[in-house]
Amino acid sequence: MSQYEDIVVIADQIQNDLRPITFELLGAAQTLAAKLDVKVRAIVMGHNLGSIPQDLIHNGADSVYVVDQPELAEYTTLTYRRAAISVIESFERPPHIALCGATTLGRDLAPRIASHFETGLTADCTELDIGDYEHKGKADPSKTGTYNNCLYAIRPSFGESLKARILGPWKNPQMATARTGALIPFVTDTTRTGRIVAIKVKFEESDFRVKVIETVRAVSDALDLIRAKVIVSGGFGLGGPEGFDVVSDLASVFKESAVGSSRKAVDSGWIPYSHQVGQTGKTVRPVLYIALGISGAIQHRVGMSNSGTIIAVNKDEKAPIFQFAHYGIVGDLYDIAPMLKEQFKKSMAS
Amino acid sequence: MGNGYKMAVLIKQVPDTSSAAGVNPDGTVDRARAKRMINPFDKYALQKAIETRASHGGEIIVVSMGPPPAMEVLVEALEYGADAGYLLSDRRLAASDTLATAYALYKTVVYLKDVDIVFTGLQTTDGDTAQTGPQIAERLDVAQITYCETMEIVDGRIHASRIIDGGIQKLETAPPALITVANSASRLEHKKFTNVHMVKKLSRDKAEMEKRIRVVTLDDIGAEPERVGLLGSPTVVGKTWKLGEKGGSCKLFKGDKPSHEVELLVNAVASEGRGVEEFVL
Repeated sequence: MSQYEDIVVIADQIQNDLRPITFELLGAAQTLAAKLDVKVRAIVMGHNLGSIPQDLIHNGADSVYVVDQPELAEYTTLTYRRAAISVIESFERPPHIALCGATTLGRDLAPRIASHFETGLTADCTELDIGDYEHKGKADPSKTGTYNNCLYAIRPSFGESLKARILGPWKNPQMATARTGALIPFVTDTTRTGRIVAIKVKFEESDFRVKVIETVRAVSDALDLIRAKVIVSGGFGLGGPEGFDVVSDLASVFKESAVGSSRKAVDSGWIPYSHQVGQTGKTVRPVLYIALGISGAIQHRVGMSNSGTIIAVNKDEKAPIFQFAHYGIVGDLYDIAPMLKEQFKKSMAS
Repeated sequence: MGNGYKMAVLIKQVPDTSSAAGVNPDGTVDRARAKRMINPFDKYALQKAIETRASHGGEIIVVSMGPPPAMEVLVEALEYGADAGYLLSDRRLAASDTLATAYALYKTVVYLKDVDIVFTGLQTTDGDTAQTGPQIAERLDVAQITYCETMEIVDGRIHASRIIDGGIQKLETAPPALITVANSASRLEHKKFTNVHMVKKLSRDKAEMEKRIRVVTLDDIGAEPERVGLLGSPTVVGKTWKLGEKGGSCKLFKGDKPSHEVELLVNAVASEGRGVEEFVL
């Protein structure tokens, strides 16, 4: 038996639909678990969850702790916080590691859990690993020492072209959130079996301080950025909000496509934040990413550089995007985008 | 609502990476040389407080934690219309991670007494974690609304919308609450001349300015020094390294005839088996 406790993954589900991040976290957790010789436990919260616990087993969980109660039908911070904390506290000892998605759910929930346990939490990781760490702090002698098999929570460091490895071996669970699209998902195996444990959580009146009045799902036909196979993004080079008409028009030639944007276009008020790709937006990994009028600052790059094929259109031959795009055209996007649309149709349409 | 709401807006001074000053060629930031600015996300938080005060009255107190230069962002917030400021400045806070920062800011909010609503930006541009707000809410044991876009108070109840993946959630709660404001919310109004003028006058009168923006230490707010800084932070940065450069592999089409270049490009994509074909309608 391993000297370490198990790894916990908090499943990310909306309306009984497991989000892609869940499978990615399970994939990463299994890799970490193999190094520690421990198991992966998933926690899933919701109502009328049906086959979801089984899906979690098929996708990498060794056991699943299910809280299936009407109070959890819609996500709220305080009810999910209560449920997650209750499950973790039902374990004999704190898990070695606990992982959440860096989604609007995980980024809302994970800090509350970490704060409750007074433990460390690293945000928006793009890689996770296990390794040793020697702490030589002079200012904090109580922490000095060598720690084995710590969580390496790896994230791009702010607006800079650096990656940082964050460690917190002093307290368990060592927690991290991970960006969607960054980790390799578990390969589904429907022959896997595992234990499913139902947990009943007792809520307190104060857990219902926030009421959900209404949940409005995206009404546009635009596919969720994260699930899109083709993303056409526009940046500051569009020159104004109307530029996104050209972006959408090019996107319309592709199946399973969505419209993205750079942060500058969002900050200029040209398109809602939900379309933002990059460090402070979404991390995406589509088959094809077309960047129109995006310079390719590091903040954008870290959100899309893992795309299968990147095509960049920019007036400025020196734009950083041409450093990492696979194909580039130097020119006016308003000329080029319609031509790309026609040419893709002509050359590739089935 | 008679006296309106007592609001704390937590703001941070961050390096301005959009300016060339202090940004090294490799993209790293030299904090000593870099220009400084209010974390852009925090401006949306300040705007929410200004709107709330306009509708319901009350007081806006801006709070920042940082070294003495962070005073600049508090002064700027007064120009935008904040009523008062607090700067939590103490050498022992250096190297605080999000948990330790949240503890220190929580103690500051408690020190302000009877705060109804705490506003923060969704995240900062330097730390980029979005964790501190919820961590403060946990310690205050209050409701939180993160990724908030719109908000109004009706009959003492907060009605807010928050962004969720794939849509919007409309929520209702009551103060006390902590709200982190998304950068898709309404933009900060321009500085009013009267405020700018008032701050100009204040800055000539040290004693008055010190009354308006108070500098406090850990001892003043009653925070335990071993719970902040290196001692109070459960995480450390172990190692950093540069993102690998993939430069030079881009096939660049830059001829004079765009239609021809587009044709060459698309044909190159098609011939290199990149799996794009199956997604073309």
